[in-house]
Amino acid sequence: MKYLSEYRDADIAKSLIARIKARATRRWTLMEVCGGQTHTIVRQGLDELLEGAVEMIHGPGCPVCVTPLEQIDKALAIAARPEVIFTSFGDMLRVPGSDCDLQQVRARGGAVRVVYSPLDALALAQQHLDKEVVFFAVGFETTAPANAMAVWRARDLGVKNFSVLVSHVTVPPAITAILESSDNRVQGFLAAGHVCAVMGWEEYEPIATKHRVPIIVTGFEPVDILEGIWMAVDQLEAGRHEVMNQYVRSVRRQGTPPARALVAQVFELADRQWRGIGEIPMSGLRLREEFAEYDAERKFGVGGLKVTEPADCRAGDVLTGRIKPPQCAAFGTICTPERPLGAPMVSTEGACSAYYNLAKYRATDAAEATS
Amino acid sequence: MTKRPPVNPAQLSCPVPLEQSDRVQLGHGSGGKLSAQLVARHFLPHFENAALSQLGDASVVTVGGAELAVSTDSFVVHPVEFPGGNIGTLAVHGTLNDVAMMGARPVCLTAGFVLEEGLSLTLLDRVIDEMARAARAAGVPIVAGDTKVVDRGKADGLYINTTGIGVLDPTFRPAPARAEGGDAILVSGAIARHGMAIMAAREGLAFESAITSDTASLAPLVDALRPLGGDVHVLRDPTRGGVASTLNEIAVSSNVGIEIDETALPVPGDVRAACEMLGLDPLYVANEGVMVVFVAEAQAEAALRALRSHPVGADAVRIGRVVTAHPRIVALRTPLGGTRVVDLLPGDQLPRIC
Amino acid sequence: MCLGIPGRIASIRDDAGLTMGVVDFGGVRREVCLQYVADEVAVGDYVIVHVGFAITKVDEEEARRTFEVLKEMSQLEELEWMAEVADASLSRTQKPDVQGAGESL
Repeated sequence: MKYLSEYRDADIAKSLIARIKARATRRWTLMEVCGGQTHTIVRQGLDELLEGAVEMIHGPGCPVCVTPLEQIDKALAIAARPEVIFTSFGDMLRVPGSDCDLQQVRARGGAVRVVYSPLDALALAQQHLDKEVVFFAVGFETTAPANAMAVWRARDLGVKNFSVLVSHVTVPPAITAILESSDNRVQGFLAAGHVCAVMGWEEYEPIATKHRVPIIVTGFEPVDILEGIWMAVDQLEAGRHEVMNQYVRSVRRQGTPPARALVAQVFELADRQWRGIGEIPMSGLRLREEFAEYDAERKFGVGGLKVTEPADCRAGDVLTGRIKPPQCAAFGTICTPERPLGAPMVSTEGACSAYYNLAKYRATDAAEATS
Repeated sequence: MTKRPPVNPAQLSCPVPLEQSDRVQLGHGSGGKLSAQLVARHFLPHFENAALSQLGDASVVTVGGAELAVSTDSFVVHPVEFPGGNIGTLAVHGTLNDVAMMGARPVCLTAGFVLEEGLSLTLLDRVIDEMARAARAAGVPIVAGDTKVVDRGKADGLYINTTGIGVLDPTFRPAPARAEGGDAILVSGAIARHGMAIMAAREGLAFESAITSDTASLAPLVDALRPLGGDVHVLRDPTRGGVASTLNEIAVSSNVGIEIDETALPVPGDVRAACEMLGLDPLYVANEGVMVVFVAEAQAEAALRALRSHPVGADAVRIGRVVTAHPRIVALRTPLGGTRVVDLLPGDQLPRIC
Repeated sequence: MCLGIPGRIASIRDDAGLTMGVVDFGGVRREVCLQYVADEVAVGDYVIVHVGFAITKVDEEEARRTFEVLKEMSQLEELEWMAEVADASLSRTQKPDVQGAGESL
């Protein structure tokens, strides 16, 4: 596929790896904020290839992983209602709530459907006027324009049996929170290319200046990520700390203004809980008052639900880079991919799950070597 | 490995005991870890016998000195018709293939139908027509059948169960436990087509493509490999759970390590594009007309030639090898030379946004 | 965090005030909302699509230019590589080399 396959070119990737290794005079610690980039790094084994020069910390940028437990529980409560068709992106179905997940709600008879786009959920509402269709509107800034449009469009078309359960988070406050934590180890960031495709990168400039960290707007293919890492390492070696754009083919400084405009019309900034991390001030989006009738929390009276997260799970420390997954006592013992305690163990490329598989591989390798 | 403090799992309660749900979940049928648990914990303790415990694609029973391979499978695919076939084609090919993977020659099939009240007879005729065509092409008669009708809403149109019987060949007995260090690993054709053809036709994700299911009888390919005799160690058709799950099963059954090369995996362009769109890994997507072959390295080229001599195996390629390092683990070499573990999925693969 | 893939716009239409279109992803086609990029795209352009929405237009000229730089860089002679590696190991014992080797990007 054009603009995809060429950025997986092994020769270019290898030359970038050689270049990064040659340039690094010490081991730098970088964080890729975005789960999509983590996916590529883990799947391509980029960590392993950069060993010694760069340590990548997998950040909190998976919308599925950071959706707080109480929002999952609200989703479960709504999805179990007989009049509801609950729609969601596929990867939310397996995220554990307090006592089950959406797949189990479906097994117990709840109408839970996977959709590709929030507009598909809206179309479902138009087809099933006798049902309440609820969409689980999770995501970062990239997904906000899509979810905003579904709500806007519902009002425009007068669709009354559609609502959204919002769990929207924004990236810059999370980066700031990580940088301001007392034990921060992150020296540079790869900013998420698709978030910036919508939002641009102006918000990142004061962060880079204030905290003296390079922030590189980066794409998602191996060559993109390696070039982003190269740009960060080059800045660090030179003692610079600027925002740079690696993903020039898709990201402009202003982002995509019409998308930003609709997001601002439908949503407003709010404090938001991040799973495993806690509340980050003004780090989320909620529906504006004028769209209250599309707010599933109000429609189904679940707004007051409060839940405490399992104390054994140190997902927050993992997602902020304070510890590596194997340093969590629950890792591999009471928390495994089949029985995930926290979200990073849920998806195959979640930080904990990735470590779990790698550890298994290296353990058998080591056993073989010593036997 | 970083050392971690010892934890006594009995002292801690997991708030999300997913596997201990008191209900059957879709994941129990996905061919992954949950399926394996369901069989091991709920069926085997009650049905235990020597033939069943082999847990192969088909069981071996001896009747009057002759060894027979017996396999049964139920088909509940939705939608019932999809590009490249329908539930009837699958019901024939799926069961025939399970028998063929034992190295057996299929001799007959039975078919049981569960029909939902209100099902269109025209649709039923199309299904039966395709089914008959597939059985004729494979030269295997459908010798017994049964029909039940259930109330509207109690079945998704129609379900089909087929049972296949084949005659085993004493000189050709591939088995999942026979993989050996050094074996070459081949696949007989392009992977991930069936699962993506179904996905494309499903509401909610609908996209247009020219992707067709690969559904086909693999018996002719098995016949083509027969002359290689004992050098063909394992044959397996990677249906639900895809190539990744099948390789994991073989690695465990044979207690060997498996190494595959990502660049060698034959994934057609449009199938890859559909996987990109939904964030799916083609290694975990279902196939219905592809088999994985483990063959002694010395015969690898001969096996490839034999597979390619038949249209169904025209795109056969080598994807990896068996190693003695990391037993029971399937490792994948990435195009950049990195490594990752290809694990069994805990349940169904779901479209991602992240 | 957000799976977005590039596709080529095959057709554009108006759906009750919303700009929609069909986007081709390497042989797979899907209906996509083009509202956010409506002012800058035409049939044949590439867009990045996330959950059924085009979120940005791919700048093909920029893509070509930056990719060529990467491609050229990867084809540098081995000798130049050696020199660079040597430079870097030298700089380990000296002050960081502010000029850097990376400004070509």
